[in-house]
Amino acid sequence: MNPSAGNSATGIRFRKARVVYPNGTVGMKDLDLEIKPGEFVVIVGSSGAGKSTLLRAINGLNPISDGTIEVGGRSVPQKESAELRRLRARIGMIFQDFRLVKRLTVMSNVLVGRLAHVPGWRAMLNLWPAHDKEIAFRALERVGIADKAWIKAGQLSGGQQQRVGIARALAQEPSIILADEPVASLDPVTSRQVMDDLVRINRELGITTLVNLHFLDLAQEYGQRIVGLRNGELVYDGTPDTVTEADFQRIYGRAVTEDDLKLSGESHG
Amino acid sequence: MAEAAVSVRPEKPPRNWWLWGTALAFLVLMTWWSARGIGFSINELVCNIGGGRRLLQESWPPDFSFLPRLFAPFLETVQIAIIGTVVGAILAIPISVLAARNLTLGMFVWFVDRNFMNILRTLPDLFWAMLFATAVGFGPIAGALALTVFTIAVVSKLYSESLEAIDMGLTEAIRAAGGSWWQMVQYGALPQSLSQYVSYVLYGFELNIRASMILGLVGAGGIGMILETQRSNFEYERVTMIILVVLVAVLVIEQVSAVIRRRLT
Repeated sequence: MNPSAGNSATGIRFRKARVVYPNGTVGMKDLDLEIKPGEFVVIVGSSGAGKSTLLRAINGLNPISDGTIEVGGRSVPQKESAELRRLRARIGMIFQDFRLVKRLTVMSNVLVGRLAHVPGWRAMLNLWPAHDKEIAFRALERVGIADKAWIKAGQLSGGQQQRVGIARALAQEPSIILADEPVASLDPVTSRQVMDDLVRINRELGITTLVNLHFLDLAQEYGQRIVGLRNGELVYDGTPDTVTEADFQRIYGRAVTEDDLKLSGESHG
Repeated sequence: MAEAAVSVRPEKPPRNWWLWGTALAFLVLMTWWSARGIGFSINELVCNIGGGRRLLQESWPPDFSFLPRLFAPFLETVQIAIIGTVVGAILAIPISVLAARNLTLGMFVWFVDRNFMNILRTLPDLFWAMLFATAVGFGPIAGALALTVFTIAVVSKLYSESLEAIDMGLTEAIRAAGGSWWQMVQYGALPQSLSQYVSYVLYGFELNIRASMILGLVGAGGIGMILETQRSNFEYERVTMIILVVLVAVLVIEQVSAVIRRRLT
């Protein structure tokens, strides 16, 4: 991948992509989907609809059984290889359960985002170039927790830990960010802050961003484009203004209830 | 509590006397058979108990004047244990990683490494001491090498199991950021299990101090060698002194490592 590409956004294209798990479950059914560089896409669907499968196919964590996925015009390698690692180096990923080493400092966790960008011997000896430490610090500043750099990650609140997760992704200087249920383990207020961060980063840096969300109100509020999945199939693709109650019923296979809303308890709008 | 009175209480199931009787009879028979096999008899034991008392009398009091002469061999014992523990603990890391099913590099590597570990563990430390004594000559080097192997065997068995219990979400996050296999291990797996590792290494050190007594018997240096000489010269008061020194050392190390382990968790 061209290193000068830096933060320049990258598009993603699924062509008849299919994922069949070893137990026979079909996680993705002949998906055709194009995501333009710099887009902010929210993917909705009930659990098991294939939201995670879709995200994890983009960085090759879940190999596809058929069809192709192209990132920036190149197809995603389906085997562990140096090429796949180079692709992953430019794709940041954010997880529901944060996935930080709790006993290490926030800084160490963010530097994980630089692992694929420094010479192997430096990473091995934990000798980080000043340039990379600077990138890590700037990533922490962007999510507003640079003051916590030398605190152990486990001592932070859930919302702060997720910000460390975002900073780790940003430290990769990614052209794509994949967020897999980033607010599922957070309370409504913190969820809003984290979603605001993701939207702001998308706007400021133009990083193509895909966010999996279970909650409809969050999806409608934050998505510039909403993609609905059901049983591994694309059942909706459009803007939040045009999405109707009927569309949501089609996505969820049932009527929308209070349980599908995260911000309902809040006094807003 | 009103409902309790009306509810039907199940009868206590009868004890399976037949099973208990058989198990007890089996144990008694097995013990009797073993005692016959090794020629053990209560009569002889009672008749000869005087001999044991004589040995104990000869062994008491411990010969404290012998203490200064123990200083150098004891130091050598500690040095043997330190070398064995440090070198063994470092070598145990890659062996543990490759023996952990969730981290290893393919089933073949796992199988080979796992069996290598089993062989190390099956062969006793005395065997290794004799092997190395033949290879590099009698003395502390042979002892240190034997304890290195012994430490690898102990630490890698325990640590590989801890590694199998780590949170693999974290290692996946490192792979998702483009990290290599070794980076996944170094930044994801090892930090998660660091406290267990340190605790196993401390345990290994404790065992090594104990083992160094035995190793001396086959000429692998340290305080065990003095023990063997004094024992064959029937200097039982000196033998008691040596045992006392090792006992104190083991107790001290146990306490110190307990404190360190508590701090870690």
